[in-house]
Amino acid sequence: MCATITDSARDRDRREETRLRDRLLANPEPALRWGAVALVLVAVELGALAGGLLLLLDATVIGVTALIEVILGAFSPRAGEAVYAAQQAASGFLDGLRSAAGNVPTLLSRETIPNEGYKTGPNGPWEGTFLGLQPAVAWAIRLVLVYLYAAVVFYWVYRGWLVFRDHYRQVDWTPRDDVVDRLRDHRWGQFGIVVVLVFVTMALFAPALGPTTVEQNIQSPYSHEIQYYDAESGSVETVYVGDANFNSKSKGQGDQNVGPMTYDDYGRFHPFGTLTNGRDLFTFSVAGARISMMIGGLSIVLASLLAVIASMTSAYYKGLVDLVTILVADGITSIPGLLLLLMVGMAFQGHWLTGVLHGGFLYAVTFGIILFPSLWRSVRGPALQVSEEEWIDAAKSFGQRPRTTMRKHMLPYVVPYLLVYGSMTVGGVIISMAALSFIGSGLGINPPTPAWGRAIDMGRNYVSTQSWHIALIPGILIVVLVTGLNAFGDGIRDAIDPESEGGGEEEAAAGGAAG
Amino acid sequence: MNKLLYIAKRLVLGVPVVLFGLTMTFVILYLSPFDPMTAILGRDADPQTARQLAVSLGLRYPNGEPVPLWIQYRDFLIDTVTFNFGQSWVVTRGQSAAQLIWERMPATLWLGIWSVVIALALGIPLGLYAGLRANTWGDYTASFGGIVWRAMPNFWLAVMLAGLLSAGGLLSFYRGFLIPTDVIGTPAALGNLFGSYSLGPVGIPVPDPYNWAVAFKWILPAALVLGSSSMGNEVRIGRTAVLESLNSPYIDTAKAKGVSERVIVGKHVARNAMIPLLPVIMGEFYLLIGGSVLVELIFGIRGLGNLFLSAVLASDVPIIGALTYVFILILVFFNIAQDVAYTIIDPRIGLEGRED
Repeated sequence: MCATITDSARDRDRREETRLRDRLLANPEPALRWGAVALVLVAVELGALAGGLLLLLDATVIGVTALIEVILGAFSPRAGEAVYAAQQAASGFLDGLRSAAGNVPTLLSRETIPNEGYKTGPNGPWEGTFLGLQPAVAWAIRLVLVYLYAAVVFYWVYRGWLVFRDHYRQVDWTPRDDVVDRLRDHRWGQFGIVVVLVFVTMALFAPALGPTTVEQNIQSPYSHEIQYYDAESGSVETVYVGDANFNSKSKGQGDQNVGPMTYDDYGRFHPFGTLTNGRDLFTFSVAGARISMMIGGLSIVLASLLAVIASMTSAYYKGLVDLVTILVADGITSIPGLLLLLMVGMAFQGHWLTGVLHGGFLYAVTFGIILFPSLWRSVRGPALQVSEEEWIDAAKSFGQRPRTTMRKHMLPYVVPYLLVYGSMTVGGVIISMAALSFIGSGLGINPPTPAWGRAIDMGRNYVSTQSWHIALIPGILIVVLVTGLNAFGDGIRDAIDPESEGGGEEEAAAGGAAG
Repeated sequence: MNKLLYIAKRLVLGVPVVLFGLTMTFVILYLSPFDPMTAILGRDADPQTARQLAVSLGLRYPNGEPVPLWIQYRDFLIDTVTFNFGQSWVVTRGQSAAQLIWERMPATLWLGIWSVVIALALGIPLGLYAGLRANTWGDYTASFGGIVWRAMPNFWLAVMLAGLLSAGGLLSFYRGFLIPTDVIGTPAALGNLFGSYSLGPVGIPVPDPYNWAVAFKWILPAALVLGSSSMGNEVRIGRTAVLESLNSPYIDTAKAKGVSERVIVGKHVARNAMIPLLPVIMGEFYLLIGGSVLVELIFGIRGLGNLFLSAVLASDVPIIGALTYVFILILVFFNIAQDVAYTIIDPRIGLEGRED
């Protein structure tokens, strides 16, 4: 393909697109086979998929309008309020659509495989659970199915790439093939990928994974009722979830404990036990995974964006631009991250921004700003290196616009490095976010929205009692996730650049904003 | 370039960094929706008192006019840079912030010094060990331990350790071990590290060994937690650095010349391994300052981190501003020290600073 520099990018894209279509039409069979599997996978989870997409759309709307609101609000409060009202309306509309999507039956939902029910006699059969099985078994079946489904989906995505590579890609080889091949032999990196995927699945399927729901068990326990078999009266009784929670607390002393993998007095199964307020720790943890990973992802995307802009412009123009970027970056890093987060958290208390993403949005933006210097430093070297190459000079002398040069010729060289450092930095974000929620007092994720740090805080005084699970389990989740993210980063680094063997700045960055 | 000139240049370049950091602090504290009046007086304050307070804080002129933001900014910069921090608003109302910081400094220093020492004393030998016995079970254990150790949140580790050390916990014997001490709270012996004895006519203080031991044992768990994440870094980076220098040609040369194993490891490998370790060691100070907030909170140590946290939770702006300034100064100083140390360890890196 000999596109000339004077081609606009769009021309070339269009041409490639038609070509891909031609190739598809010439040999449709592999693509059709792959697509058929896709149809099955989508059909099974249609409702959840639509709901997920709407949730994503909702988050985007809120994020974008929040930014507009902040900028406009700086000039006129009234314009800011108008944007806020528009945001509320849009978000409400999307919520409506989402509940509609929730009514579409899906295979992996709690309605298809219910695990909540009650005994009809002292040892008697279970009523309301999947096939009359014990709640624990029904829940386990759902959990296994969710992870099987996720594994199939991830494999299917990989398979799609293989199909594309073997049947439709024009070139026989790209550097990316080598990257994938090297990852195939990298056990440590594969461990990282598996851990990350397990947690991504946990976050995506959080509502289906828990033995109960956040809405029923945590947010409004007094507007939900459950039935249970009461051994004393020998009959099936009805109780508010809130009251049931009250009697299922894990408080260390006496019989006030519902440990991991046990039932409480109301026939509810708790895979991770209960919290000090009787809520289900597993449901709490998977919902916490969702918010943690959302904030981690958002902040790293933001930081990478800033780092890309800074590295591109400073490497392209050098001189004064570079110097100013260095000073700004150094200024930001001169304040330890956690202190900056604490200050921001304090200063914005009560502001409406702390309502977006349950308080996470404000911190995600702050993380984006705090993390951008270290990310920028890690890609500054590669960016400067590539800016010295001859093809950049050539592009310049052909009169290509700076932005096009940066995007087409410099960015692809920098992105893999961002992936490595980004994945290692996310761990720091997750730890710091947990630390903020641990401190509480208006910092971190707003209660009652689940957050890992808050569970650790609740279990703080029960570490050496029978209720050890409250602080231990969420902490282990964090350790496993952060270890996995670091392994993932190691794997990608070794895959893209087998020469570089560990060491250097990213290690310090990974320990991160600390806490 | 002359070494002194280099240091002077670095110091000059540090000035805009400090100013930028202070500006960010100002932007967050003064331009955000945060309202100092409510922070001090509560929601329904008497307007008269509020006005007086605003005047005394420099937010309004005595005639009621608001002070323009740029004058507030200028005053904030001048006051902070000249260590004129003003008085605490909330935490200990009326006490000078500088005095408060001075009082809390020893506990944080004690904790910080020991956590660096412990991290270095455990991390570097473990890293060297793992590198020298690469791909053995010992190496795997040390490396994997380092990785997991690094992934553990400080505050969680602190919670677990404090729980295990508490009465009834698995490790509760620790408090009675050798010397009876507590583990929660500020070690009282800290105020008495240098006993009442003094030497010579000028009165050089003599360290009191018993109090040192008590204060050390008391702070040990907290220091272990605080040093943990950097310890993991040191193991990992030490290992790679050792491997790298073991594979370099000059080691082969030395071996061929019959230089003994001990000399090779001690003189060549260890020294070269120090170069990549240096930023990690210096980076510890970042972790220390951020991490001390939580570790001091959990172990109940009355230090600077704890002070910062209570100032933040109470919106005590003068203390927050003063502490931030102190922390910025420390970090900028250590950054410069790191680059200077580089030129001493490895003269090839030169005085222009290392290449990023």
